[in-house]
Amino acid sequence: MANQSGNVYGLTILSPILQDPNAETSHNCALRMKLATLPRDESSPFARVSSTHMARLVVMDDVVYMGMPSCEEHLKSQYLVFETNFDGDLDTYLALMAREIPTEVDGIWQHCWGYPGVQDVGGFISYMKKCQITTTFYFADVNNKTVQQTLKALQTQAAVAEFIEHNQGRTPAELQKSFANFLQMLRNAPPPIPGRPGTGGPPRIETRMKWATRN
Amino acid sequence: MANINYKTYAMNAITPMKWWKTWIVRVFFFILGAVKPLQKDLVQLSFIHFARWVIIKRTKFPHAAQQQPKEELKYDYLLFFSNFNGTWNQYIDAFSAVLSRGLNAIWRWSEKFPGSVPVTPFKQYIAHGQFDTDYYYTAYPYAATNDVKAAHRVQAAVEAFEKECAGKSPEEFARSYLTFLVAVQCDLGQTGKAPVGT
Repeated sequence: MANQSGNVYGLTILSPILQDPNAETSHNCALRMKLATLPRDESSPFARVSSTHMARLVVMDDVVYMGMPSCEEHLKSQYLVFETNFDGDLDTYLALMAREIPTEVDGIWQHCWGYPGVQDVGGFISYMKKCQITTTFYFADVNNKTVQQTLKALQTQAAVAEFIEHNQGRTPAELQKSFANFLQMLRNAPPPIPGRPGTGGPPRIETRMKWATRN
Repeated sequence: MANINYKTYAMNAITPMKWWKTWIVRVFFFILGAVKPLQKDLVQLSFIHFARWVIIKRTKFPHAAQQQPKEELKYDYLLFFSNFNGTWNQYIDAFSAVLSRGLNAIWRWSEKFPGSVPVTPFKQYIAHGQFDTDYYYTAYPYAATNDVKAAHRVQAAVEAFEKECAGKSPEEFARSYLTFLVAVQCDLGQTGKAPVGT
């Protein structure tokens, strides 16, 4: 199925946005303002939907006109595009959204036609599937690792670099003991937090070389 | 506008296609999906986390409520979404240089597509069809695609090394440790903020 690549699912949803000529703020503007206030780091609602690798929300105002001799045409509704890449199957993911981030989902999709709310999880899943567009071709560069596996691997990569740097010149016995402690520490480390924009890798190596400075 | 989240850029583009050309693109994508070696260039570019092309038929735009006006369109539309590392210019330049034949096969059925080479009209065409992202989240904002692949190789190497070293003497361990270092040394690059570019 084109929606999937390996274990990763690529969901594309186009939800038509409400039009209300009597509204003080149009729904598309209110939606954009809402999206602008959502945190994008570890406080993001999608960090709580922990199987999410990457997700985006976009207000699509209209289609494009490419110029003569093609025809100019316009959409009658604006659409909220929800594009997400996650582990596992669609029903589980949508149910997770309804359970973990109901306030945010309501706050966003309340501006869309036909949105039933998340109270009735089955109704919410049906609505999202009704607005789903099947992906024609989907590419995932790493498609056999979960979000947690990737975050853990990035944590391990940074820790290994640091271990190597701090254990140079040790005797074999010291090195072996130190590595055993390192593995224990790695096992006991708290799980990495999705969306946190911290840095990994080894700390910057200080150099005493003077040739790089002018004075 | 939030196209960029640390190291990853979220790109969206839409182009119109005459409805009777749509099936040609579908056949191309079906072959591309079924014959994995054809994706070799896409994999080797190694700066795309996830990408997708979505064809929406002119009659299939979602209609979620009775009161919602129905679309009356002449064209089908090709949507393109990509999650890549680096700048927009680097991305389009690399696409044009490495995947020109593939891109032509995908977009030549869209209205007024100028071809992916030369790159200037190609960039103008993509920019014209592009629309900005309002909200963008990534679970590993500081890591590029290559960082992710390298991290998984290090993880696998650590697990293998742990098994290999069980019960070894300190001297045997030290020899294996050196082999381990050589194996992972190219995969220990520092992750963090992306370099500034245009």
